[in-house]
Amino acid sequence: MVVVYAGGNIEVALTSLFLNPITLSGGVQQIFVRFVLFYTMGMGVGLALKAGLWNIGAQGQLLIGMVMVFLVYTSLGFLPWPVLYVAMILGAAVGGFLWIAVPTILRVKFGANEIVVTILLNVVAINFAFYMLSGPIKSTGTALGFPHSIELPAQFQIPSIVSSVPITYAVPATIAIGIILYLVVERTPFRIKANTVGESHETARYAGISIPRVMAITMLAAGALAGLAGATYLMGYRYELDIGSFSTNYGLVAIICALVGRKHMLGIGFASFFFAYMTIGAESMALSANVTTYVVFAMEGIMMLGILLGNYLTERKYSV
Amino acid sequence: MTVALSDILIGVFSTTLTLSPFYLFAGMGEIVSEQSGVANMGLEGIMLMSLVATFIADYMTGNPWIALLAALAVAAVVGALFALAAIRLRMDQIASGLAIYLLGLGLSFVIFNVVYPSGLTPNYVALPPIIPNWNTVSYVGIIFLKQNVLTYASIVLVVLTAFFLSRTSLGLRVRAVGENPKAADNMGVNVNKVRFLATLFGALMFGVSGFYFAGNIVPGFQTDVIAGNGFIVLAMIYFANWKPYRMLFAAFSFNIVYAAQSEYVSLSGSGMASVSTLFNMLPYIFLLALIPVFGRKARAPKFLLKPYRKG
Repeated sequence: MVVVYAGGNIEVALTSLFLNPITLSGGVQQIFVRFVLFYTMGMGVGLALKAGLWNIGAQGQLLIGMVMVFLVYTSLGFLPWPVLYVAMILGAAVGGFLWIAVPTILRVKFGANEIVVTILLNVVAINFAFYMLSGPIKSTGTALGFPHSIELPAQFQIPSIVSSVPITYAVPATIAIGIILYLVVERTPFRIKANTVGESHETARYAGISIPRVMAITMLAAGALAGLAGATYLMGYRYELDIGSFSTNYGLVAIICALVGRKHMLGIGFASFFFAYMTIGAESMALSANVTTYVVFAMEGIMMLGILLGNYLTERKYSV
Repeated sequence: MTVALSDILIGVFSTTLTLSPFYLFAGMGEIVSEQSGVANMGLEGIMLMSLVATFIADYMTGNPWIALLAALAVAAVVGALFALAAIRLRMDQIASGLAIYLLGLGLSFVIFNVVYPSGLTPNYVALPPIIPNWNTVSYVGIIFLKQNVLTYASIVLVVLTAFFLSRTSLGLRVRAVGENPKAADNMGVNVNKVRFLATLFGALMFGVSGFYFAGNIVPGFQTDVIAGNGFIVLAMIYFANWKPYRMLFAAFSFNIVYAAQSEYVSLSGSGMASVSTLFNMLPYIFLLALIPVFGRKARAPKFLLKPYRKG
């Protein structure tokens, strides 16, 4: 509908939306890159949501994670290869962890609203990443005048599983993290603890659950996961940081995935795959039907409203 | 090159006064909306939609007042969509707000692209300053007289909103449905109708903010042009503790820091280019630093974010 209004050809549009992601070269790779990104961030957002906390700042934590990859790479360059490789990945997670520590402390110690703080920190993170690009991690070569970072050398890139198919080891690693989190979160009493805190602090207090502890664990894990997503995105796909990496708010897409996956650690995986597929489809549709790729955001918004409406209808069916 | 201190101060204060109405209109809208129990996180989406309506109407008619009407009409439609989702259908307020944001972010650019595929547009006709030859008058004149009528309207709006919420019966009903909808319902208040009206008022004010942004802050359409500044309104309201007059303080102090850093960066010349982004962080860090001070006392309306079901 949006496309037709935007002056596109509906047949071309639909073909590209549903078929291009798998038929076009690079489409499959793109789907899995986005899947890893959405799933890793979405698990964090979903975890915090279980405890009733909104991490609107996943985008900021992602950016800090990406910056940290380069900071570790440039400052700890004396380390031998495998150690540095691991340190870069861990550094990204630590970056996200530290970035979310601010809203976590303010929330737990001062009762400050985490939505407000994570929104503010997103803006700070973007400016910080811009600063890093304009100086500390800036590339010496100038390409088209756009600020961009140094490029990671081949030995620090995450390799493909099979050389002919550009699906990297990040994909099985992310699925493994998903299964581990599923076992640790969904199959233990922690799920009930987090849900109780999310539902009602009063009930949680009665049940003797340590509310600050649950809030801190879920928030900090959310930040670390979003930071980690920065490492897999950079080291597995992008290899360098430029302004293009900031322009899309993947943090919001991660929130949609977490909600669609009903905050379930495996459910979020399916939702992430669906949204990765749809995003690539929508982007290729935008290109072939000659409308702007910004149409993707509008579609995501409409899908999100549709899914919320679906929730409303099913709830009404089963409750009074 | 040395610049007189008075010139710097004039620059800082006039920028502050130019930026603030954007936050004040949206702030009053969001305060009324949140006092009724509905947090509208879609505010920046509504602003972007009104902004694009402003540009198109202004380019086509050359009349900024018609552009304002177009902005209000579009804001009302998108606001009603949000209200339908969050109030009538009792969807999660934060999730439906973010959906409205994404919708506005994407659709605003698509619409602009359809109307002006080449990106070439006629000149924007802005609202005139209240005194047309403001630059012939002295210091204070430069600060106060180059602003347009909306700048002063925004300050009047703060006074009116404060009066409305604390002194009128509809204002008391707005606060009642946000504080204790059950009791309000028992007293015969139509909870969801009051919430709908409050949310619609909020959306209209986001429309004015979008219009103001188009004419006074960034004079041309770009993608994601508001760049998160709409969301900053939510942070300001938190410091303002949902009180209109304190919102005035929050908006002015944030914008003074913003104007001061941008004045400093622009005066320091090209050598500052690499660290200018660090200075850009200052106003946001300033708000963050206030959290432990004001955040403790902040108390949201009790039934904020909670949909109401009769019975």
